[in-house]
Amino acid sequence: MRENKQTIDGILLFSICALLIIGVIMVYSASAAWGEYRFSDPFYFAKRQLLFAGVGCLGMVFMMRIGYWTWRHYVITSLIVCFTLLIVVLIPGVGLIRGGAQSWIGIGAFSIQPSEFMKLGMILFLAHWLASRQQQVASFRTGMLPLLAIIFAAFALIMLQPDLGTGAVMVVTSFIMLFIAGARKSHFALLGAVGAAGFVGLIASAPYRMDRIMSFFDPWSDPLGSGFQIIQSLYAIGPGGLFGMGFGESRQKYFYLPEPQTDFIFAVIAEEGGFIAGIVVILLFGIIMWRGIRTALLSPDLFGTLLAIGIVGMFFVQVLINIGVVIGLFPVTGITLPLLSYGGSSLTLMLIALGLLLNISAHTRIT
Amino acid sequence: MSKITRTLVRRRLLLLLLAGITITFILMIRLGYVQFALGGWLTEEAEDSWSRDLPFEAERGEILDRNGEVLATNVSAPSVLVVPRQIVNPAESAAQLAEILEAEEQEIYEQITESSSIVRINPAGRKIEQERASKVRAQRLPGVYIVEDNKRHYPQGEHLAHVLGFAGIDNQGLTGLEKYYDERLQGQSGYVSFFSDAQGQRLPDMADQYEAPQNGMDVRLTINDQVQTIMERELDIAEASYNPDGALAIAMDPDNGEILGMSSRPHFNPDNYQAVSPEIYNQNRPIWATYEPGSTFKIITLASALEEEEVDLDEDRFHDPGYIEVAGQRLRCWKKGGHGDQTFLEVVQNSCNPGFVALGERLGTERLFDYIHQFGFGEQTGIDMDGEGTGILFDEENVGPLERSTTAFGQGVSVTPIQQVAAVAAAVNGGTLYQPYVAKDWLDPDSGLVVDSQTPIEKRDIISEDTSAEVRRALEHVVAQGTGSGAFVDGYRVGGKTGTAQKAQGGRYLENNHIVSFIGFAPADDPEIVVYVAVDNPKDTMQFGGVVAAPIVGEIIEDSLQAMDVPKRDNQVEKELTWSDVPYLDVPDVTGLTLRELHDANYPLNIEVSGEGEEIYRQSPAAGERVEEGSTIRLYMGDKSTASD
Repeated sequence: MRENKQTIDGILLFSICALLIIGVIMVYSASAAWGEYRFSDPFYFAKRQLLFAGVGCLGMVFMMRIGYWTWRHYVITSLIVCFTLLIVVLIPGVGLIRGGAQSWIGIGAFSIQPSEFMKLGMILFLAHWLASRQQQVASFRTGMLPLLAIIFAAFALIMLQPDLGTGAVMVVTSFIMLFIAGARKSHFALLGAVGAAGFVGLIASAPYRMDRIMSFFDPWSDPLGSGFQIIQSLYAIGPGGLFGMGFGESRQKYFYLPEPQTDFIFAVIAEEGGFIAGIVVILLFGIIMWRGIRTALLSPDLFGTLLAIGIVGMFFVQVLINIGVVIGLFPVTGITLPLLSYGGSSLTLMLIALGLLLNISAHTRIT
Repeated sequence: MSKITRTLVRRRLLLLLLAGITITFILMIRLGYVQFALGGWLTEEAEDSWSRDLPFEAERGEILDRNGEVLATNVSAPSVLVVPRQIVNPAESAAQLAEILEAEEQEIYEQITESSSIVRINPAGRKIEQERASKVRAQRLPGVYIVEDNKRHYPQGEHLAHVLGFAGIDNQGLTGLEKYYDERLQGQSGYVSFFSDAQGQRLPDMADQYEAPQNGMDVRLTINDQVQTIMERELDIAEASYNPDGALAIAMDPDNGEILGMSSRPHFNPDNYQAVSPEIYNQNRPIWATYEPGSTFKIITLASALEEEEVDLDEDRFHDPGYIEVAGQRLRCWKKGGHGDQTFLEVVQNSCNPGFVALGERLGTERLFDYIHQFGFGEQTGIDMDGEGTGILFDEENVGPLERSTTAFGQGVSVTPIQQVAAVAAAVNGGTLYQPYVAKDWLDPDSGLVVDSQTPIEKRDIISEDTSAEVRRALEHVVAQGTGSGAFVDGYRVGGKTGTAQKAQGGRYLENNHIVSFIGFAPADDPEIVVYVAVDNPKDTMQFGGVVAAPIVGEIIEDSLQAMDVPKRDNQVEKELTWSDVPYLDVPDVTGLTLRELHDANYPLNIEVSGEGEEIYRQSPAAGERVEEGSTIRLYMGDKSTASD
């Protein structure tokens, strides 16, 4: 195994930075009305997003500069920390409840989302474990079962908040990593069956999830209730047309879209920038996906490959679910759009993860 | 890492890349589909959801008589409007509003604290008087506004109330023409719409859209307000004199079916319809009431028999012993002892029941009933009003000689007043049955131009012009020399027929309780008006149509024809004088005479002199006019020299 001193992937870095800049600008545009209304400051959200982006970039640069293999030493520690945080957030009075889910720890603005940390912690752990015990992965009992137990434990804790979106992203990312690591297809079939049953069970356990799915098939059956968010999102995108309404000209951001700067930022982008802006953003996401998988392919070791695919998998699954919801392909799920949505934990952690990916890209083999 | 593993990982990574690229394309295609294929529809829906409409009420069309006299219009009536968010002190505001509007304080309080952007104080604050509105305005309550609104007003009061009907608080037609033509009168309300955010605030940089209200069309009726006024006056007098259970009158132009006047008693004021029971404003008797017509129906029998040439009024004779035997039953004439030997013209004049039974017999059941149907009985006339009755005829299958005989003089059938008017109009207008109607022209409210017109609706020709002329001659004789003498108007050649209908209740006729009626038309040579009057159970009088109803019809016809500028005729059937009648004479020409010369001439007239001078230089009425003996004529005196100026 030969390593070459190389520079990081420029295309990847460029795409990340481009999306980050678009994100800060669009958070401003999307949130100006809400910021003015709630905090008498149209720049309220934009300023904070800029701060998060700054902190995130520091993290990214930091990760870029440290060899990714270094983190193998801290894998177990970080997993334990993440589990602890997931338990702490559930303690009444400690975890902060926002939007019906007890997902935050901290004071006011400076709060973190343990589930976001867990996504990254799980990726690190799985990459380390699978790289060390690659031969066992074909065995169900010694390879798959212990991992599934850990993944399920994390998922269960996240579902207690409850946060189906983040939990689902973590599970799907984990499965992608298992798949790449060489897990048997028959095991996946089994997992698929169990997963489908669990999914049905989860939906049955919370009526609002059923509403969301029904409203996905016919949003107009309950336009002011469960169909409201999808309809408002489509009202933003539809009138956008080819070139959009122009920057700052969104109407749906005036209190029609529930949180235009977070989950529905893509709707505002497609409304103000039209089809063109939408395509540019999707293509940038596609490029990151492509360069990420390329990094995984060319990684000098299996740990790097799995780490890279874990990060890019998490990244792209979130893109798929978020945009899918906004354009009416999926039922409403609370997932942020990487690099674009407003949010402290999600943005900084995503940048840290991408820093890791960039570092791997700097150590690719020359083929 | 083994070689095999490396290959597996590599293959699976490429598979994942393929999946990722596919997903990227799916997202782009779906985005394009939403923005282009669904874009138009979504844009419309979205604009709907952004726009807020402030309604601009359309003004309801006016109702005018045929000469432009206003019968129904709108007057300004302000409403109180509240913007709850702007109210500073709800409790105090509610107390003050409640006091001015005379409403429950609690109710007002609930309304002004509603979580709504704009609230109308309802009903206490809707369409209130100007004074009250000024009082509210004077309080200067923040968040309380006075807005212009209007409500329906009927300047003629009770006149034509049943025909016009009335409109409710939202200017929606509730009864009468207001309801029948509600859609056209109402118009289309407009609005100002502005784009707003989800909280109701105006969105920046978006132009307002204004859709002007389309005011309702004005309608010009066939009604002649002068005729209507005369009719209402006469019914007022009748009600005062006879204290009847009810009364009704219809005037129609026989040449086209245009209703000139219509009144129903008891009546009401549409501005204050709540003051009477719904029974009163819902029953427009002239079209709704069905009852036995009595002798007025004989006109139909007469016209049919004449058309079928079954009778010659002057040559054929009939002997009335006071009754006639039909199917073993004795049908009595109204006159005890009978009318004896008479021509058929006299049969009509005397309204002799046995005579008409004979006419019915000559026609036979089939022909008689065929004419009755042709004249429009047994079906609605189709007049443009709600609530028209149909009437009941004998089922033709079951008509024996007895039923035929009573039908021939108007008993055992049930008809509506409007059916009788339409049928008699057909009998005297040359033989054409018209559909009666009230709404004549529809006018654009802004330009005043006629947009749509109702032309006369000819239903069918029933009898010939000659037959019709003969009917007119016979009926003129009824008035000049027969039972209808009360309707005689000198010079206007009134024709007509009395009717005294017995009211049935529970299958039996009531004692001393009749609907007395008269149907008349004039002038007999070319009828311009048909007038029908019925009085239900008049008190303290002989209950005969000739006594009660005929004089009312006479008065209505005389004043109406004068109002309509119909000239008097000079070739009338002269009236057969009774002891109570005053003879008429032509006014002599007295101009140029001195007062002494006038006295010597000894005319049977009173004189009233005005002016100074030797000679009469002007007189009123003019020479040649017909006046009753003992009438007063006015003389203006002057000198020859002044007269020649």
